[in-house]
Amino acid sequence: MRYVVAVKQVPDTMEMSVDENGSLVRAGVPSVLNPYDEYALVKIRGIMDDGDELVVFTMGPPQAEAALRRCLQLGADRAYLLTDPAFAGADVWATARVLTAFIGKFEPGASLYIFGRQAIDGDTGQVPYEVAGLMGVRQFAYVDSLESDDDGILAVQDYGDMVRRVRVPEGSVVSFGSVDPNGVFPSIQDRLDAESKEIVRLDRVALGLGLYSVGLKGSLTRIVSTRTVTSARRNRKVEIRDPAKGAGFIIDELEALR
Amino acid sequence: MSGCEGGSCSTCSTCGSDDPDRLPPGMLAAYNLNQSTADGILVWVETVQGPDGPEVAAVSAELLGAARKLSDGRVFAVVFGGLEVKPLYPQLFGYGVDTLYHVRGKGMETYRPEPYADCMASLVRRIEPATILMGATSRGRELAPRLAAVLGTGLTADCTGLTADRRRMVMTRPAFGGNLTADIECSKFPQMATVRQGTFPRPPVEEGVGTAIYWQYEPDCESGILSDEKVAESSEDIRDARILISLGDGIRDRSLIDVAESVASKVGGMVSCSRSLVERGWMPRSRQVGMSGRNVAPELYIAFGISGAVQHRTGMSGAKRVIAVNSDPDAPIHGFADLSLIADAGDVLREMDRALSKKG
Repeated sequence: MRYVVAVKQVPDTMEMSVDENGSLVRAGVPSVLNPYDEYALVKIRGIMDDGDELVVFTMGPPQAEAALRRCLQLGADRAYLLTDPAFAGADVWATARVLTAFIGKFEPGASLYIFGRQAIDGDTGQVPYEVAGLMGVRQFAYVDSLESDDDGILAVQDYGDMVRRVRVPEGSVVSFGSVDPNGVFPSIQDRLDAESKEIVRLDRVALGLGLYSVGLKGSLTRIVSTRTVTSARRNRKVEIRDPAKGAGFIIDELEALR
Repeated sequence: MSGCEGGSCSTCSTCGSDDPDRLPPGMLAAYNLNQSTADGILVWVETVQGPDGPEVAAVSAELLGAARKLSDGRVFAVVFGGLEVKPLYPQLFGYGVDTLYHVRGKGMETYRPEPYADCMASLVRRIEPATILMGATSRGRELAPRLAAVLGTGLTADCTGLTADRRRMVMTRPAFGGNLTADIECSKFPQMATVRQGTFPRPPVEEGVGTAIYWQYEPDCESGILSDEKVAESSEDIRDARILISLGDGIRDRSLIDVAESVASKVGGMVSCSRSLVERGWMPRSRQVGMSGRNVAPELYIAFGISGAVQHRTGMSGAKRVIAVNSDPDAPIHGFADLSLIADAGDVLREMDRALSKKG
């Protein structure tokens, strides 16, 4: 069995700026592996048997290698970095195009293609399903747990108002629905092992994509303007040391509402 | 049109080829056939199981009302299900639907993203809407990208506003990196967007007439579904609450959730939370306020220990009054509150509970 996990490197902090095109400025912001992807990686490792293979890949700037290195420490066997200046500014469609082209050319026929629920910097969570749509395979969203039995793989999906138990065919896209807030810590041995593992770099040409299929040029949506949200709130800041007094303030507000 | 399959030849345009690239280039230029004729808005009507059968999801009703106002053209709706959906027709026409496609077929009653997307794609090719709208629900957020990929068009997720310039939509959504909202356009038709509940008012049901069309569709793959279990969700929804006691990362002691519940019950409110408490597993996702949770608009929003990241603020921006309690004077939430207390959230909560108990 071979499992392919798509990951993303995200800024560690919520303090991000945007350039004049409305795209994220990543320079100078510390980056981490998206916690949702990390969770997915750890989950999939949990159902792997000896001899199974775990492959990770990401699209991003050259620095995204750090996120892949972390995946290797967490037990991935191989890693690909899809990096090209032309990939910058991609929307969901252009991103999905690149990921799908990669899968088709370099890692076809895997048992499952795994994603995290969403990236913490974008919060939209649309990429896994566009990739599934482009690949024409089944998609399983909000997966809570996976187990494998003699007949294949079973998934439990949590839609919020409904829990679905479903059989997952080979080659499907699976997106995990949750995240582990505490994260995981690779052992020193795992860290050392990861150093010897290889990260393959692929650019646009290697994926066989045209210049107008990727990045900003290949995007089907574009940001026409951005506006600053101004807060129209009458702010009254009170520094209160005594909690009882603070509680009194709030209760007064609640009383006023009745 | 015997023997003529749409789009299979490039000799004439009578069979309505849906792919203008297949027409001779000279023809394209001469008749400007490259111009899409797409018009109108298609809304996916999501149904939720009510006590007496299916009901129109609140967000779908809102979108139908918005579609009527945004479009000079027709309003199309698509609904999936068996005969039990029929009683919803008058309501849907009352929201201003001109043409309702009711998809029936074996295996199409239960929601599944793949056949739903393929079926909607077949509909879209037939009716050529300029815009496709869905609610940004757990299902909509999964179905819309699938459909966008099948159709090869752009999608703007989680919109908090829509404006129209004739057929063209400008979709507004919060952008990361600051207190920004971005206006986004899609460069081709159909334009697609998922829209959050609460973005538009729920329209009144008026007298309306329209056409209902049965659309037969057979899914081409086995579902593999072993069971669908309804989760007994508390009937209360944080979106309906007048007062919200909202807890964030600053709440370090799990017992404080019970304290907050106690306070909420005494003041007639509900407890909501930020993402970190959901990730800790302390609160269900249905209680989460913010971009990956719900948009709320209570009379009073009291944020305890919430730092106020932009993702959270987006969800609470509809609140009439905001009180923030956070011991960090530099927390961004203070900039978005009418009253901010620089104090420990847990202590204030406990004191409130005590004071309210005394009042009894």
